[in-house]
Amino acid sequence: MFFLHNLERRVTLHPSYFGRNMHELVTTKLVKDVEGTCAGDYYIIAIMDAFDVSEGRILPGNGLAEFTVKYRAVVWRPFKGEVVDAIVFSINPHGFFCQAGPLSIFVSSHLMPEEIHFDPNATPPQFTNNADMVIEPGTHVRVKIGGLRTELGEMYAIGSINGDFLGCLQA
Amino acid sequence: MASNSWQFAGDGDESDDDNFNPAPADMSDDENNDNDEEHNHNHRPAGKTVRQASSPVPDEEEEEEEHDEEEDARPAKRSRRDDHDEDEDEEQDEEENEEIDEEEEEEEEDEEDEDDVHGGNRRKRRNKDRRAAFFDIEAEVDDEDEGEDEVGDGEEIEDFIDNAHPDDIADSGRLNDDRRHRELDRRREMEASLDAEKQAEILRERYGKRAPARGYGDMAIVPRRLLLPSVEDPSIWAVRCKEGKEREVIFSIMRRIEERMGTKNEVPITAAFERGGVNSVMKGYIYVEAQRQNDILVALDGILNVYPRSNMHLVEIKDMPDLLRVIKTPNLEPGAWVRLKKPAKHAGDLAQVIDVTENGLEARVRFIPRLDYGVRDDPVFQADGKRKRPGVPGPRPPQRLFSEAEARKRHPRHLQGNPQTNSWNYNGDDFENGFQVKDIKIQQLEVKNVNPSLEEVTKFASGAEDGTENLDLKALAATLKDSAKSVAYVPGDIIEVYEGEQQGVIGKATNVQGDIVTLQVTEGDLAGRTIDVPNKGLRKRFRIGDHVKVIGGSRFRDEVGMVVKIVDDRVTLLTDQTNTEITVFSKDLREASDIGGQGSLGQYSLLDLVQLDATTVGCIVKVDRESVVVLDQNGDTKQVQPSQITNKLPKRKFAVAADRNGSEIRLDDVVREYGGQQRQGKIIHVHRSYIFLHTTTTNENAGVFVTRANGVTTVAAKGGRNTATAGPDLSSMNPALKRNPAANGKQMAAPRTFGPDRAINQTVVIRRGGHKGLLGIVKDTTDTHARVELHSKGKIITIPKADLSFKDKITGKTIDINQRGGSRGGFGGGGRGGGEFGSRTPMASGGSDRTPAWGSSRSTARTPAWNRDAGGSRTPAWNDGSRTVNPYDGSRTPYGGATAYGGIGSRTPAWHSGSRTPAPDGFGHGSKTPAWSAGSDSWGSKTPGYGASAPTPGASGDAWGYTPGAGGGNSSSAYDAPTPGGGLSAPTPGAALNAPTPGAYSAPTPAPVSAPTPGAWQGGWGSGDAVSAPTPGALGAPTPAAYYSAPTPAAYGGAAETPGGAPGYADDD
Repeated sequence: MFFLHNLERRVTLHPSYFGRNMHELVTTKLVKDVEGTCAGDYYIIAIMDAFDVSEGRILPGNGLAEFTVKYRAVVWRPFKGEVVDAIVFSINPHGFFCQAGPLSIFVSSHLMPEEIHFDPNATPPQFTNNADMVIEPGTHVRVKIGGLRTELGEMYAIGSINGDFLGCLQA
Repeated sequence: MASNSWQFAGDGDESDDDNFNPAPADMSDDENNDNDEEHNHNHRPAGKTVRQASSPVPDEEEEEEEHDEEEDARPAKRSRRDDHDEDEDEEQDEEENEEIDEEEEEEEEDEEDEDDVHGGNRRKRRNKDRRAAFFDIEAEVDDEDEGEDEVGDGEEIEDFIDNAHPDDIADSGRLNDDRRHRELDRRREMEASLDAEKQAEILRERYGKRAPARGYGDMAIVPRRLLLPSVEDPSIWAVRCKEGKEREVIFSIMRRIEERMGTKNEVPITAAFERGGVNSVMKGYIYVEAQRQNDILVALDGILNVYPRSNMHLVEIKDMPDLLRVIKTPNLEPGAWVRLKKPAKHAGDLAQVIDVTENGLEARVRFIPRLDYGVRDDPVFQADGKRKRPGVPGPRPPQRLFSEAEARKRHPRHLQGNPQTNSWNYNGDDFENGFQVKDIKIQQLEVKNVNPSLEEVTKFASGAEDGTENLDLKALAATLKDSAKSVAYVPGDIIEVYEGEQQGVIGKATNVQGDIVTLQVTEGDLAGRTIDVPNKGLRKRFRIGDHVKVIGGSRFRDEVGMVVKIVDDRVTLLTDQTNTEITVFSKDLREASDIGGQGSLGQYSLLDLVQLDATTVGCIVKVDRESVVVLDQNGDTKQVQPSQITNKLPKRKFAVAADRNGSEIRLDDVVREYGGQQRQGKIIHVHRSYIFLHTTTTNENAGVFVTRANGVTTVAAKGGRNTATAGPDLSSMNPALKRNPAANGKQMAAPRTFGPDRAINQTVVIRRGGHKGLLGIVKDTTDTHARVELHSKGKIITIPKADLSFKDKITGKTIDINQRGGSRGGFGGGGRGGGEFGSRTPMASGGSDRTPAWGSSRSTARTPAWNRDAGGSRTPAWNDGSRTVNPYDGSRTPYGGATAYGGIGSRTPAWHSGSRTPAPDGFGHGSKTPAWSAGSDSWGSKTPGYGASAPTPGASGDAWGYTPGAGGGNSSSAYDAPTPGGGLSAPTPGAALNAPTPGAYSAPTPAPVSAPTPGAWQGGWGSGDAVSAPTPGALGAPTPAAYYSAPTPAAYGGAAETPGGAPGYADDD
């Protein structure tokens, strides 16, 4: 789910940037540092604005200036039970991996409808029910997130396509 | 049914007797009715209706009328009584007096109250008798309690009998009956004559004891403790018998009992049982229950395999229940793993069950022998001169498979066997395929909690004659599973009860004590309640998506993963490490708090490169509990134990290989196989010509595969390699640069040199290396090296140019050949020098601008400039600057790209500064000084750049120049360069338009920058003070230098500097 989230971050600026447009630089640096990263259990998608840039403090020792910036960002936090659209990028006999934006989701063969099975003889190997559903790398699928695991700077999820309206997205 | 009900009725009455109160009793009856309705619905409907009619009539006086009315309803009423109502109205009691003795009892007890209503009773009874003729006549006849029914009873009964059983009773019987009835009547008479107290006493004596005992026996639920044996019960004796024959003995006893049943010598025991079995502690005994010990001797007399006369123990009463306690006995299957307890030498050794004997007493096991082949025996034998005492075990020999050769060496005579089957007998022990095989009593085996480690088990597996490892993992898993200790629950676990009364309850463990788990129920009807449950019927509950860790006995221990499937207590999870699915029991799982988890075994962790033997290396692709799986360089995977790994190969960060196109590939480059499967992956190890790659697209071998380096092509990282040192990339950070990327690009262009290398034929001193300090002459050069003919040795050596210090042939002073050429140009070959500088100077354009200026300077201002050159500026700028600089830095400066450029710039300006530009300009402009400062910017841009950059690094630059030179050479130049360059290139024309140039920068820049510098020469031509010049140079320079690491100062710092510059300038003056 997407949220507009108020966040805070300390940005350090090299002395070479000290000058009149420092705040602008701070914001730029913030965007560069933060956008597109995974912060624990959510991803920071985009920064709307930095609404409060504190005064800089010179850090003793290296001369960098530290600013505390409060900013507002669009974040995406995947939830257990959330349904997302994803693109399959890898398939193995146990299931397939798909990617919903930055999040990699594994869909185990246990979490697929009964009739879908792995077909190793197809090229590329695919999951199929021998009818309309063919899952191979590149396929767009709709997946329900079953569990999430967060690591430092990374998130993994397992998903299920066992349910109504889940699975292959046609065209 | 009936007896049951009456039993209750009787019980109830005992209490009811004292305060008999019909009305409340009736109310309670209603309650009972409600209950009873559920159980005895068949009886109810009629009874209930009657009840409603009768209940409001508790009064005894009204009874009689009642009865008349009630007569037709009677059967219904009786049925109600069957439902054991507790309130027995007298009327009802009397009605049914004759039916059942139980009732009579209570009847009797109520008798005192009833005496006055006898007449009515009788009448009533007759009526009833007629109806319910079949109601247990015998009981009535036997009954001695009917004391109150004195005389008339006989008739009535007679009637009754006549009516009820006309066919059953013969005439003689009837006579007999008659006599007995009279007898009965007499007795009753007698009893009636006794007083009530006494009668009660008699009754109590007669029935009082029986009632409770019978009552409990008949109840559906009996408290357990009441079933326990007591002193009055027969005793149990344990009788010795032959081990393994327990059952046979019992069967013999059974047969004997059957045989003698009904004869005069019946077997006088009440029970016999056995609890034998392989692992039972009760084997070797049978247990016989009898009243007396002698009965047992009689009963067992002559039965085989049992020895009642030898040793018979009386089992204590409190121990009796334990005799029948059921203990689950582990059963040994061939293939199972056990540990030896008994041969002391082998205590604790792992053994595998080959077979279990029929009687279950012994098992044939195989284990690895601990033989010393007599090596240790002999000295003991000789030294003591007596046999080594058995039972005093020496140090026990290590486990080794049996070796025929060894055995033959010392004890050829004790060895016999068949080499074909590889089975031997040595010193009385049997050996097969190297293993010792032995029949061992099962009690000498440790069957539970064996916990064989993989290492131990592997020894057995590798013993197969073909060398293949045929590990029976299934048996191993079974053993491990069996041996796992009872599940440990910890508070916080989500637990499901799957067995027992609380089945289906789900809750969170809040407390665990021994076998009892306290659950806070979270789901279902009991939610919120706290219950205690034994941990037997519990299992941990997980949900799909949970992140769990494998604990306990599973061989997947320490794997961490996410649950993808749950069937009963089997949980399938997807491991984090390898993205594979494993299935384990939920008892072996727990919620994982930590991430990552397994991934290392000792010092070896996943994806490490390890040396297996001298020629084989491998990459660890899987880490198990006790072994690792390694993918070796040939692409084979094998399971090895840490002990088999020679060592771990540290990751060589700078290992380089060449791909099939000859491009260099390093760690972390992404390459693709050229042929074959065209797999693509990131290089994780380079070992000789093999590279180990990691890919995320497959999880086979954890995504690792190996290939030859020359079979791959680079996909990424070509030229994209970042060789920059750590720290901020200052060149990219400089906002000034960012704002003027064109200048940036331009200034990066390397200077071009024309003509032969001027180093040739120079006299040089070698500054470093083995030839340090030697003097020579450069004979030839390449871009980087020079061939130097040494004066001292007369031989020519090749030395990096950077290690050379150029000396003046005559004076021996250190010179900068380029500088020198410049100065030379300055002196004589101006054109050449100019050209040189023109091109070399950072300010190519500036130079061109300058050239005229230079020209002009030459023509007009040369003198001062020159003067200044010679005196003022040269001394400081040149002497000090270029010359000093160059040796260290300078030499580098010229060659390094941008740096060089800057360096050259620096030199150039230094030279310029000294020689002319500022001066000339200054001159040209005369009073324009300020403008000039701007103008000087043009190349003054150089100047400032120069102030900051050129002279600074050049002249003063050296003073602090080491710093930039050594440390920030790059950046310095970067900063040097851009500032002047940026300023210069474009603004140079600004020579004309003084203003814009500074404007380009931000006005202050030039000023400040220029400030010091000008200071230098200003001094030169202003005060003509040679001394003053360096000072600012030195001063001005260091300042930027300080900032310098950050190029900014050039731009920014300049701002600050500006004033500083001005003062500096003032100072000079």
